[in-house]
Amino acid sequence: MYEQEFNKLFELAKNKVDDIEIMLTSGKSFSVRINQQSVESFNYADSKGIGIRIIKDGKVGYSYTEEFSDEAFALIIDEAIASSEMVENLEPVKFDNYPDIPEQLNIYSAELDKVKVEDKISLAQKLESLALEADKRVFNVPYAAYGDGYSYSKIANSKGLNKESKSNYCSAFVMVLAQEGEDKKSGMDFKMSRDFKDIDPVKIVDKAVKQATDLLNGATPASGQYPVVLSNEMMASLLSTFSGIFSAKSVQEGKSLLKGKIGEKISDPVVTILDDGLHPDGMVTSPFDSEGYPSQRTPLIDDGILKNFLQNTITAAKDNVKSTGNASRSYKGSLNVSTTNLVLQPGKATVKDLIKSYDRVIEVVSLQGLHSGANPISGDFSLAAEGFLYEQGERKEALSNFTISGNFFQILKDIEKVGDNAEFNMQSCSSPAVLIKQLMVSSK
Amino acid sequence: MISQELIAKVLERALSNGADFAELFLENTYNSSIRFYDGKTQQSIVGKDFGVGIRVFYGISAIYAYTSDLTEKGLLSAADAVAKADRKDQVIRPQELSQVRVDNRHQVKIPGNTVDKSEKLDFIRKIDKSARIYSDKIAQVDLTLLEKKQDILIANSEGLFVEDTRNYTRAYSVVIAASGSENQTCFDGPGALAGYEFIRSLDPEEIGKNSAEIAVKMLEADYAPSGTFPVIIDNGFGGVIFHEACGHSLEATSVAKGASIFSGKMNQQIATEKVTAIDDGTIVNKWGSLNIDDEGTPAEKTVLIDKGILKSYMVDKLGGKKMDMESTGSGRRQSYKYAPTSRMRNTYIAPGKDSFEDMVASIDFGLYARKMGGGSVLPGTGNFNFSVAEGYLIRNGKIAEPVRGATLIGNGGDILHKISMISDNLELAEGMCGSVSGSIPTTVGQPAIKVDQIIVGGRK
Repeated sequence: MYEQEFNKLFELAKNKVDDIEIMLTSGKSFSVRINQQSVESFNYADSKGIGIRIIKDGKVGYSYTEEFSDEAFALIIDEAIASSEMVENLEPVKFDNYPDIPEQLNIYSAELDKVKVEDKISLAQKLESLALEADKRVFNVPYAAYGDGYSYSKIANSKGLNKESKSNYCSAFVMVLAQEGEDKKSGMDFKMSRDFKDIDPVKIVDKAVKQATDLLNGATPASGQYPVVLSNEMMASLLSTFSGIFSAKSVQEGKSLLKGKIGEKISDPVVTILDDGLHPDGMVTSPFDSEGYPSQRTPLIDDGILKNFLQNTITAAKDNVKSTGNASRSYKGSLNVSTTNLVLQPGKATVKDLIKSYDRVIEVVSLQGLHSGANPISGDFSLAAEGFLYEQGERKEALSNFTISGNFFQILKDIEKVGDNAEFNMQSCSSPAVLIKQLMVSSK
Repeated sequence: MISQELIAKVLERALSNGADFAELFLENTYNSSIRFYDGKTQQSIVGKDFGVGIRVFYGISAIYAYTSDLTEKGLLSAADAVAKADRKDQVIRPQELSQVRVDNRHQVKIPGNTVDKSEKLDFIRKIDKSARIYSDKIAQVDLTLLEKKQDILIANSEGLFVEDTRNYTRAYSVVIAASGSENQTCFDGPGALAGYEFIRSLDPEEIGKNSAEIAVKMLEADYAPSGTFPVIIDNGFGGVIFHEACGHSLEATSVAKGASIFSGKMNQQIATEKVTAIDDGTIVNKWGSLNIDDEGTPAEKTVLIDKGILKSYMVDKLGGKKMDMESTGSGRRQSYKYAPTSRMRNTYIAPGKDSFEDMVASIDFGLYARKMGGGSVLPGTGNFNFSVAEGYLIRNGKIAEPVRGATLIGNGGDILHKISMISDNLELAEGMCGSVSGSIPTTVGQPAIKVDQIIVGGRK
């Protein structure tokens, strides 16, 4: 697909630049939201964009367009050259024709593209009706939504690379509000998959409703240090928030405190973390990265020892290692390093085991403020939390209006047990629940 | 970009299955950014966003489709997609389009593309240099100069046909101070709905030095204490408290569904009498201002809370239909990729009569939040959180040592009743606000306010 557009760009760039890379993403997506059983909104998207990266006199230039016309293509070649002239960073950059991964990935489902719109609507309607029926205290369902999408990406460069890939997904999301007396609490859950039949509205609704209703009329804990169990979702959220610490780019820019720690023990031995660009259940699984480099599995922390940083070819050249296939960029942006599917490996302990580990344990099931209350560089965080107090393994009461604070690097060291219930969050990060020796809990 | 005739045809097609209303939003945006760190220009990206969004209403159901295929075929297939989402017997025809001229309140004096690149780089280098000179603890200065020119065209089946151009200019800086394994950052991001004259009005050396000073001070600060205290939140970005704690819950998006703590509270006392809050889209050249919103409605100044009484929500067309209210010109979206919904513009608490000195003197032990970081809220419960970027303890009526790592949490319905003093030093500050219709420029603002008690989540 899009051979004509790519050929045109290669032709326009000829003799004007030393090398050129062209990336295209296009896609179609659909979403429906239900309110009071009728369609609140339908969204159809049909999007595409081309981004180019050029090398001229050793400098890199970027430009992009969402308008596909000869004029727009000519303009972006000129803009990319002009942009390269401003650049003062002369780190060596090269394009190459990278090999393909040996295996065939299962990231596109033809079946999913055949699901009827009526079935999608009725799934979203079911999310709302089930939520309202599930518990008298549920008084509002602000979100009952289904969405799916298809995306295509293509990358080619003047060294002969030419790769394409397509994938699709579907997802369902529900958010409920529950009230008892004056107190209101919210609960949410989602499911993402490539198989429509995987989406079980009963399961999603049960979890969201249980979370909201269980949290109603919670007490506030006394401030102090507590052993804390972070639920699988919350640990995954925290890990996503701090995932930048594993990027070689962050390390090289002095933005990661893991600098110089490869081979050192940086966490408790129960912790094993890897970046898995080929994970069968991952939603960002892809055969190649944004430079066309083959995707792979990269161990980050093995039994507590820091093994690797995530690399693109530019950071890898500086560190004198190979790329790990973690180059990332959108057609609008510049080359970076990102995680793909980030996985904290599950252990054997059940959540009950984790909770029973101390006489008093706080289980945290909701965190707010991850984009503002967490400092991705220092690792410090202070976050609004909700959860439950357990004594001798028995749930004593719900807790709200408190914060937990600490430092992510310290958490890695303080993880004492790892649960068996790993699940992916919406940022493609998978984690089980974990037991943390202690965190500061603040309230009154 | 596309002819008026074709637009009329697209609107007619979008209504052809019985929709009540059809709208087309066309965008052609020129984006330019220069990024500088490690003391060097790292990259410069220029590009073009281009596409159209078509929306219809069937009653209060909204159907939206967007495409960057602006051929007749592409547009009509998007129109068909929205038309076929529902069916009603009565088909209405669109009214004849008549062009409305926009009265441009936000003039651009110096278009960014007329300014030499060396001047832009010089401005950036001055911030970098002044930050690094301030202290050898400055480990990184990361700067971005953003310029955006958004040409829009909005047409709808009520006959509206309007075009406008919005020029945004912003300088965003992140200064990082480090010592050993400790790291602290300071963000700054002045911006305007204006041209390059806005950058010329800034003092780059001041920006660099101030950010470096805060980052170093926070590096040396001890952790904030934990507990419930009186807190003074200073002006400017401090207004994020109102934005998060109350603003989002006053948007029709959540109010119309009964999913806001302020649903059904019109004309009721929701705050202390000292609180008057305004959302104003008309302030000349302000970052959150607009000539017209993304539905073509002229921007206005909306009084949300008058002396503690709830007077208005922020309303877009669809929200207005659901709530039987007029649009307040608050329909906004990041780009053609988003259907518009009710959003904030320049939102602030109006100045009061208390002096800042009296506020500090009234507190035996508390927190002075001089600069706020970001935050978030769940409108359904009103529970909010936000972080303090630059904080100090107050001891015996005086501002004392700096503290770091504090997060303030509370409930939006509750906190408005605890604002006991409001100073007269109103100031606005620019930010980006993310919500269902994407990330859009907004300003927050307030004079210094005293909140009698709020939960402070520190590390001690």
